[in-house]
Amino acid sequence: MNPLDFVVLIGSLLAIAAYGMWYSRHHRDLSHYLRGDKTTGWLAIGISVAATQASAITFISTPGQGYESGLDFVQNYFGMPLALILIAAVFLPIYKRLNVYTAYEYLGRRFDVKTRLLGAALFLLQRGLAAGITIYAPAIILSTVFGWRLDLTIIFSGLLVIIYTVSGGSRAVTLTQKYQMAIIFVGMFAAFIILLVKLPVNFDDAFAVAGGFKKLNAVSFSLDPDRRYTFWTGILGGFFLALSYFGCDQSVVQRYLTGSSLRESRLGLMFNAVLKIPMQFFILMLGVMLFVFYQFEQPPVFFNQAAWHDAVRHDPAGKLQAIQQQFTAAYAQKEQDIHQWLDARRAGDQAAAATARAQALASLDRANDLRAQAKTVMQADVPGIKGNDSDYVFVTFILGHLPHGLIGLLIAAFFAAALQSKAAELNALGSVTTVDFYRHLVKRDAGDAHYVIASKCFTLFWGFVALAFALFANLVENLIQAVNIIGSVFYGVMLALFLAAFFLKWVRGTAIFWAALASQTLVFVLYFSLNISYLWYNFIGCAACLLLSLLIQSALGSTGKSSNTSPVA
Amino acid sequence: MKVSQDDIPPGEMPSGGQQEPTGLPFFKTWRGVYLFVLGCFILWVLLLLALTASYS
Repeated sequence: MNPLDFVVLIGSLLAIAAYGMWYSRHHRDLSHYLRGDKTTGWLAIGISVAATQASAITFISTPGQGYESGLDFVQNYFGMPLALILIAAVFLPIYKRLNVYTAYEYLGRRFDVKTRLLGAALFLLQRGLAAGITIYAPAIILSTVFGWRLDLTIIFSGLLVIIYTVSGGSRAVTLTQKYQMAIIFVGMFAAFIILLVKLPVNFDDAFAVAGGFKKLNAVSFSLDPDRRYTFWTGILGGFFLALSYFGCDQSVVQRYLTGSSLRESRLGLMFNAVLKIPMQFFILMLGVMLFVFYQFEQPPVFFNQAAWHDAVRHDPAGKLQAIQQQFTAAYAQKEQDIHQWLDARRAGDQAAAATARAQALASLDRANDLRAQAKTVMQADVPGIKGNDSDYVFVTFILGHLPHGLIGLLIAAFFAAALQSKAAELNALGSVTTVDFYRHLVKRDAGDAHYVIASKCFTLFWGFVALAFALFANLVENLIQAVNIIGSVFYGVMLALFLAAFFLKWVRGTAIFWAALASQTLVFVLYFSLNISYLWYNFIGCAACLLLSLLIQSALGSTGKSSNTSPVA
Repeated sequence: MKVSQDDIPPGEMPSGGQQEPTGLPFFKTWRGVYLFVLGCFILWVLLLLALTASYS
């Protein structure tokens, strides 16, 4: 990074922070602080919902996912359009008419207080955990760029986000997200175009290389339960994951509740239903093209260069240097094989192309084996080094191959993504703690000014909790998967609470409460004992909770009736 | 599935707001909007399938 990059980076960050603080000056009442002034149009809502979901992890980790595994991760989003249609048709009208601050207030009206608190507690638990990872993601960039210590970087960037969020409130979050998304997309498109320009082969050859190395297998109808991403896990598991996230997770619900009308909120959701799959496809394709690029430009053995240099210093026997030399030779062989393969393909010689392709695949396997050996040596020499370096792939390309100014813009884009999603999460965590717990259980009759201060204090509290978890986030392998795994473990049961509320009129509070507790325990047990795609836990948790609630309600009979007319604070 | 109407305070249960105008030029009903979204999704899956088949 040179001075121009720093000017772009710091200028962007200060502008965002100042904008958030500017909007904080009028927050006198709770409704305005938590839901904005309810004048937001559909485009701003749509962007806000997309921005809340698309954190820095999306823009850092997803290209790495594309680089490692190709396009198959896009199937994870297949259930989303269907889920958003259901939410727009059923969930949203209820939330709007009840005029709730949080989705869990509705559970209190439909069932009882304990079910409302259980729903809110599940949200706080899973979102509090995931929030730590969204602070960690941008911190790994800065630690790589500046060579800072990762823990200090986490604390610094976490504090920046906390200050911005506490001062901003919901309206500021929604409005700033528009500009943050603009920065992100300009940066990502520019990076993609430069990557394509730098490719030494034409598009057809680039796609042939990507396809030949199985990076373009976007859709699979495999029924293998061990396979993480298939059409079926995407449609079924992805549907439940999206239904839970967009329908029951306050960090998103809060975004579309800022809409000026039901129409605006609905169109905002439909905007996401249409846009999400192409957006994820684009980001994954960026990763696939990075893979193609690094077939013609030698990549580092290990993309996390800070960790690599640290390990080399702790390797007096020179094992890593030896691996580096073998890797360089394997890479040269692979590049030669790929050129032979492309030449044969262009000449229309199918047999020679197939042979050369097989040789290129074997060379790639050799290079990957050497990478695996290097990771083993590094982890033995420096305990605690993370073995998965895919989150560093895009960052490595940015720093090594983009022009100055654009580097600063990309780093600013990652920060913007972190700020916007983190702000929405902390805003929601503070809202649920204030509305569902504090205002309901601790202090019922205070004035709005008191609740605004309380909400800011709880937002601050959750910010520090997330910060603490972020310090342990380097224990997980791939960041974007970690967030989805945490969501999948909790979301199924959370979703069941809402589906029972909407569709199972016989089920009352006591039955659904105990069914939810039992199902969540079941999901925990299965998660630690089975090795299946995590997306299935959304379905398992939801189905188990709904079935159990029906069974328990049958056993209880009419005695299990809850006070569905209980007041909502 | 039918949404349970009797478990939510009176007046709070939606008709789904399906009668509310969409305000869009080509889609007068929400059902039309949802069908359009579904169509986009199917189109994307078909395109991804074509990409998978072309380069695998």
